[in-house]
Amino acid sequence: MSESILSPGIDPPSPTLSARLREMADYLAAPAAGRLTEEQRALSLGIARRMVIDVAARLDPAIDPAALWNEWLRRGLPSATRIAGVCFARAEEHRWREQSAQRSSPPPLLSEPEAGNDESPVIGEELSDVARAYLAVQIADRRRFDALGNPAIAIPDLDGEIFRALLLDIAAWRLAEVSKDAKRAARLGDAVRAETDRQAAESGIAEAGRAYYAVLGADAADAAASAIARHDWPVLIALAAAAHRRGYDDMALALLTAESAALPSLFAPLRLDHMALAPIEASLAMLPARAVSDADQDEFPTAGPAR
Amino acid sequence: MNERVIRGRIDRSGALVSADAPLLRLQQRAGAGLDKPLALPHLARLVTLAQRLHRDISRPLYAADDHSDIHALVRITPDADGASLEITDWRARPLVQPQTPAIAEGAVVPQSWAWECDQQLRIVALRAAPDAPPVPEGWEGRSLSELFELQPDDDGRFPVLRGLARQARFDGQRVRAAKMAMELAGEALFDATGRFTGFRGSAVVAEVPSGGEQKTGALVDPAFGSLPLSDPQFGRRIDGALRGPLSRIIATAETISGQFDGPIRADYARYAGDIAHAGRHLLGLVDDLADLQNIERPGFKAARDEIDLGDLARRAVGLLGMKAEEKGIRIDAPRTDDRAPAFGEFRRVLQVLLNLLGNAIRYSPENSQIWIRVDREDDRATVTVADQGQGIDAEQQAVVFEKFERLGRTDSGGSGLGLYIARRLARAMDGDLTVDSAPGQGARFTLSLPARDGG
Repeated sequence: MSESILSPGIDPPSPTLSARLREMADYLAAPAAGRLTEEQRALSLGIARRMVIDVAARLDPAIDPAALWNEWLRRGLPSATRIAGVCFARAEEHRWREQSAQRSSPPPLLSEPEAGNDESPVIGEELSDVARAYLAVQIADRRRFDALGNPAIAIPDLDGEIFRALLLDIAAWRLAEVSKDAKRAARLGDAVRAETDRQAAESGIAEAGRAYYAVLGADAADAAASAIARHDWPVLIALAAAAHRRGYDDMALALLTAESAALPSLFAPLRLDHMALAPIEASLAMLPARAVSDADQDEFPTAGPAR
Repeated sequence: MNERVIRGRIDRSGALVSADAPLLRLQQRAGAGLDKPLALPHLARLVTLAQRLHRDISRPLYAADDHSDIHALVRITPDADGASLEITDWRARPLVQPQTPAIAEGAVVPQSWAWECDQQLRIVALRAAPDAPPVPEGWEGRSLSELFELQPDDDGRFPVLRGLARQARFDGQRVRAAKMAMELAGEALFDATGRFTGFRGSAVVAEVPSGGEQKTGALVDPAFGSLPLSDPQFGRRIDGALRGPLSRIIATAETISGQFDGPIRADYARYAGDIAHAGRHLLGLVDDLADLQNIERPGFKAARDEIDLGDLARRAVGLLGMKAEEKGIRIDAPRTDDRAPAFGEFRRVLQVLLNLLGNAIRYSPENSQIWIRVDREDDRATVTVADQGQGIDAEQQAVVFEKFERLGRTDSGGSGLGLYIARRLARAMDGDLTVDSAPGQGARFTLSLPARDGG
């Protein structure tokens, strides 16, 4: 937008006012477009913060994460465009899981406390390959939360390019903060290379999902159907991602923004029947402010009686 | 808001003959089932009320079990063959948010690890709070009992194993891990099909006893370990530990007392009635203690809602009118155009009024009258509850707001905390609660709050 948003003769505005006016101009340019809710913004920003802090801790434990984040908050995140997708995908997945958990019915209570003994699984029995692979998916998923249970991005799950870009941005900040002496710059450069190599060798939820899918073989459809029934969405996403040979975040975003009509094709490689997809469709339909491709139509219905 | 309507049907004998899944599940969790007497005491009372009044009633419904507090609105339509139930706005609030991905419950406690295990007690998550000792390497997939060396409690039991058998929350499991004494607590987790999927909880580093020099004044309860009353978890624990079992005791005792499963000897039925009564008393005490723990927290402050004391007084009468009616007591409530706009927290003021009105009903003679008046004096809005009970003398008035003060009464009517809590709440809202009484002349309790103009 090249036009000025200020009337002539008005003093130069404060940066805050400029930002507000830019936002307003964008809004007025497309008032009917769906926008991020406060919850989506807050979740994504929190995820970005935890990711930046985790990456910084890997690069150099001496970095003060609060100072780094505060400055980036003020000036804007250097890799904003690059990390927007992963943060948004993780935030949307979290909203979906939270909603699903809150809507599920309260757990059944065993009418006879002692009866629970019969239903209790055997502890300490030898794990089958399938069970071990499933456990690995669970562990990889739980690494995607911080110690307080907030959604986060596990570093092994990060795309290599994004991880490297973040390392470089943080290293640049660190250099500017302390000094630009050549020795420190070289040390940071070494750290970037070492951490990039280390991260490339790590495996996250996508790899765990691929291993689980591989060991399931022909039983993958049953496992996916069971995950749907249990609302075990991370396992479902991991299986679908493996079946499509896509990344986990990529698959999560595709699923969370899919129209109902697109669901069968998303799960086609898992050979799920249409009935099995109904709970996903119902659960996604209840998620507010979802960025489906026909969002404008959903959020601003033109048909139907006005209320 | 959950717009779904949950329906149920009660037959003439008070048995639940049909119910949508959430209601049926609650009935089952209270130890009953279909074609069994309604085992939810509050709902059963409302059904009885609707049947006695021969008209539809709509009331808030409160129920609780081991896992959650349930708040809903119920509409009861009585007819010749029983009553129909329509429940809306069903909100199940987990006692300790077990379903959120937050393993946070323990992690916010200093010196703790947050952990999660699957149904076979294999660890799938283990993280240290920022100030906690680091978690051991290689925990992934290890058995909980391998990672944490379980130690029996004073009764020789292992709370975690009991929790596993019952698929329910546990706490107070003493363990040793990484050469530290710790205490485990965990919430049971369930998936959408209701299948038990494991536990999520905290491992807190146990405090090292300081050379036998026990801090004086620290309240240590054998049932809750070394958790002092001031610990924010105390209220939650006491809720979780007592509310579910008590609700079941009450429901079962009421079933026996009502002779729903066939006639029994009258004195046995009476004993069961006594048990239910005592259970309800204990449940009230649990509520009071949880409140006490909350309001005695340093910095406790109530919300400043715009309220109308006239409206709240009428609500209180609506909720306790039935109880008064049972004793033939007439309540003279403020008229609908009597208003006293004030500032105070809506639910807390209602709680105070329910306490005052409940006491007035409890200690008033049969076929007497209770008056509730609202007024404004300068910058104070007031509501006064006056009864024709035996009254209290000046000496008793001086102590009536003390903790556990029951003025020498030994019946099972109250915990002796109600007025103490009520006054604390009133003062937390920048108001006060006072009493004016003389022996033989009834008592007048006045709640005053900052007045609000207009409204």
